[in-house]
Amino acid sequence: MELGVPSRARSCQAWRVTPSTLEQHDTELRDRVVADVPWQAIVWDDPVNLMTYVTYVFRSYFGFPREKAERLMMQVHTEGRAIVASGNREQMEHHVQAMHGYGLQATVSRAET
Amino acid sequence: MIVAGLGGGDGIRIVLETEEAMLLSELADQVDSVLLLGEADDPALGRLLPNAYPEDLEASDEFTRYTRESLVDGKRQAAQSVRDATAVEHPDDGVVQIELDQAQAWGWLTFLTDLRLILAERVGLDDDEDDADVETRDDYLRAAYEWAGFVQGSMLEVLDPIKP
Repeated sequence: MELGVPSRARSCQAWRVTPSTLEQHDTELRDRVVADVPWQAIVWDDPVNLMTYVTYVFRSYFGFPREKAERLMMQVHTEGRAIVASGNREQMEHHVQAMHGYGLQATVSRAET
Repeated sequence: MIVAGLGGGDGIRIVLETEEAMLLSELADQVDSVLLLGEADDPALGRLLPNAYPEDLEASDEFTRYTRESLVDGKRQAAQSVRDATAVEHPDDGVVQIELDQAQAWGWLTFLTDLRLILAERVGLDDDEDDADVETRDDYLRAAYEWAGFVQGSMLEVLDPIKP
């Protein structure tokens, strides 16, 4: 199982502000963001599933409040897909497996940066 | 078909006409068979067990390897529990009453979803408009599809009532 890219340790030279360390800061920051939220679980629209069912799955499985569950369900319905979770790859695969168990069409993908 | 909440607030009661129970039992048995015997290239199985990585063959295979067995087991257990609960023992009673707790109700909800995914895939696959047999079969499948949606919707109205 591939895990997220570990964030690089902060350089002890970071206090010395030169163009190159600034650049290094940017890279480190980007690496950290990528490491924190690198994967997504996406639920896709499926004309078969009842809207009330999809909402109930989101509420029960993710523990979302009704408003959020309904908003995500509507996003799936109108835009064709919705990101229902972000995190490390293993967690996202776990969520997608659960969604498949409920009969929802779901995929894992790397977050766009 | 009637769905009502149980007194304690945790669980539901489903009342089915004998014919409805027999139909559901038969459909549940068929869903179980599709999961047990389905050919790998059966598009209905693709609906029940979607590709988690459509753009990454290697990751897709790995995901399937790790998850397929437990997903199939869970779906088969749900179908079998519906099949067994709807088995008609006393046809003369006219109705079959089934009580489900929260976990059992989830089994029914996911089974009804899997059933509708399979039916949706089966309807119109061999679309030959001159073939009366196919049309009759499709009418039957469509009716079952609509009815399964009605049962699921009725269950959800009780399990997850929308407050005004």
